Amino acid sequence: MKLSRKAATGAAALIIVASVAGCSSPSASSNELTFVTDKSWDFEKFSAVSKDDMDVALDPAYYADVNAFQAFIKQSFRSNKAPGLFTWHTGSSLEDLVAEGLVAETTEIWDKAIADGNISESVKDLYTIDGAQYCTPISVDNWVMYYDKRTFADLGLEVPTTWDEMMTTADTLVDAGVAPFWNSGGNPWAFVWFQILTAGTDVDLYNALIAGEAKFTDPEIVEVMNIWLDMKENGYFTDPGSKTPAETQIKDQEVAMIPFGTWYSSTLDTVGLESGTDWGVFPIPNVNPEQETIPVAIETAPACVPEKSAQRDLGLEYSEWWMGTTAQTAWSEQQGNLPFNPNATAGTEEFQKIGQEYADPKYEFYLRYYEAAPAPILTASLDEFTGFMTNPGDPMPFLEGIQRVADEYWSEN
Amino acid sequence: MPARTARQRDAWAFMGPGVAVVLLALYIPVLYTVYLSFTEYDGLGDPTWIGVDNYVEMFHDPAILLSIVNTLAWVLGTLIVPVGLGLLVAYLAYGLRGAAWLRVPFLIPYALSGVAVGVIFSFVLQNGGALSQALAFLNLPGSELRWLQDAPLNTIVMILAASWQGVGVNALLFTVGLQSIPKEPLEAARVDGAGGFRLFASMVWPLLRPTTTIVVGLSIVNSLKTFDIVQSMTQGGPNRVSETLGVTMYRETFLNNEYGMGSAVAIFLTVITVAASLIYLRRQLSLGDAAPKTDAAPKGARRA
Repeated sequence: MKLSRKAATGAAALIIVASVAGCSSPSASSNELTFVTDKSWDFEKFSAVSKDDMDVALDPAYYADVNAFQAFIKQSFRSNKAPGLFTWHTGSSLEDLVAEGLVAETTEIWDKAIADGNISESVKDLYTIDGAQYCTPISVDNWVMYYDKRTFADLGLEVPTTWDEMMTTADTLVDAGVAPFWNSGGNPWAFVWFQILTAGTDVDLYNALIAGEAKFTDPEIVEVMNIWLDMKENGYFTDPGSKTPAETQIKDQEVAMIPFGTWYSSTLDTVGLESGTDWGVFPIPNVNPEQETIPVAIETAPACVPEKSAQRDLGLEYSEWWMGTTAQTAWSEQQGNLPFNPNATAGTEEFQKIGQEYADPKYEFYLRYYEAAPAPILTASLDEFTGFMTNPGDPMPFLEGIQRVADEYWSEN
Repeated sequence: MPARTARQRDAWAFMGPGVAVVLLALYIPVLYTVYLSFTEYDGLGDPTWIGVDNYVEMFHDPAILLSIVNTLAWVLGTLIVPVGLGLLVAYLAYGLRGAAWLRVPFLIPYALSGVAVGVIFSFVLQNGGALSQALAFLNLPGSELRWLQDAPLNTIVMILAASWQGVGVNALLFTVGLQSIPKEPLEAARVDGAGGFRLFASMVWPLLRPTTTIVVGLSIVNSLKTFDIVQSMTQGGPNRVSETLGVTMYRETFLNNEYGMGSAVAIFLTVITVAASLIYLRRQLSLGDAAPKTDAAPKGARRA
């Protein structure tokens, strides 16, 4: 009896030790890179390319909820479970990680990529913090206006090249019972039209606002909001509370134009719309024709390597490979988007054309509001813009709501 | 004594893992959350001690105050609708032939998660959605209403959506309660001429008290921590008008990266949930006690 009790005690202790030990051992093999992401892209398919080319495969873990994903990543830095590679966002989110020394520097990789002509200097700026680079891009997406070629053809509409032409096009669409522009409240897309209208009016003002050097209550911003209000009153937008996805609305010809990054083409594929025949893209014209450059929003999906990851070196090796011509051509072909590597080829003719267009120096690239605005200001903005879209009227109370949060944030940072 | 000590040691060996899990999974996280609520922390680096600033700020934020009001509306709404309807369904079906089959349709939604219910009702209740289309088709008023966009309408319809899911399980609990009521007192009441509402109010309702206590207690706790259905239907919006404390906690922690404020909301929510449960249950248990109420009397003595 005594023996069996001792044996049971020992067994219980063994189970605990075994379970603790089980928690700490990394599961990936030496040529398998643990990769954690909040993107729904098919990384398993892409992994086959890297397996062939560099004999390293990705072992992806997907998070559907971006907030749960970010909480996981933050916690992983405190344990030995940090992945070899993970997706993140540029702007203030990346600055937070760098400030704590949590991600590996990638300056050498960037220097080599630029020397090889694999990426432009302008993209490097998005990854530069205090003179050094951190993380590397999986993709860099420029914003365009997607339009329904079928609706445009039905109504005899031409692609607009100025803001006034776009408004005239919108009037025709309203008369035909089609919503000209898609918009949506809530997180994440409530910022879209504020971004377009502010940068399209004065991109320097946009950048000053992001840096806390201008106020949301400044008369210039109020004027931007009034343009938005006029557009809403003219019936230019879809219902901001609609739960029907934008791609379904354009497929059903309920909306004619959707402003998004070039990543959106793969989403349009999912509803059976084809590039070139069903949809095309054009640069979003300036609201203010006097503005010298045409601002284009840019967003980029970085892949980062935790400084203390057990797979740090493998992660950096993979990051370097992902920026190269072979990887970017395969990635663009898989995703149907615009490759940032000039040596790689775009997957579709539409994007080949817009890629050439954006190479013109008249275009100026700025960071998308979602990444550029600090987290509390972004959250307040999404709430207030949703309120404004839902109950359009005097914009000042909404702008004051954002400015209150901005004042508090900038007083502490 | 040595044998007893050895037995105690063996007992601890078996209890140890369980106690360790409880400490690790329950006590330490709660204590850590209490600590975080007194700090400023963005999830990276080290928390900075700021005393009660988060709590002070919380009670000065009009959006959080509205969130508290909305949470109380959920408590009240879920007491009236799903608990009330659950009781009605259970009582009306009780004793009928095939009553179990009558209750089944009410019970099926309980198998769904709150998020699934939220997604389904989002499509029903969105502008121009199924409900608006149905009302317009039937020439009934209300097709122009913005069910999910205007407050307090959005909170009301979300409570109704949650009720759709919750009625069945409440009906089931009340049915079990009804089945446990002894037949004799009811028959005696009938012999004395009681029937209909009088029978329910004077006999059934008092005898159902143990079940009602459980159902109402669960309803209070569940409604105070409402999160999933609101998050999936309105995200607490537009512009925070339909936020509940559960959504506020999530928003502050995971959207704003303000873990300190999120923890303060979590602790506040925990305190009012525990307080509401304790006050309600103590009151109900003391009401159910046949012995005269004397606060000084120990609990054991009262039960005896």
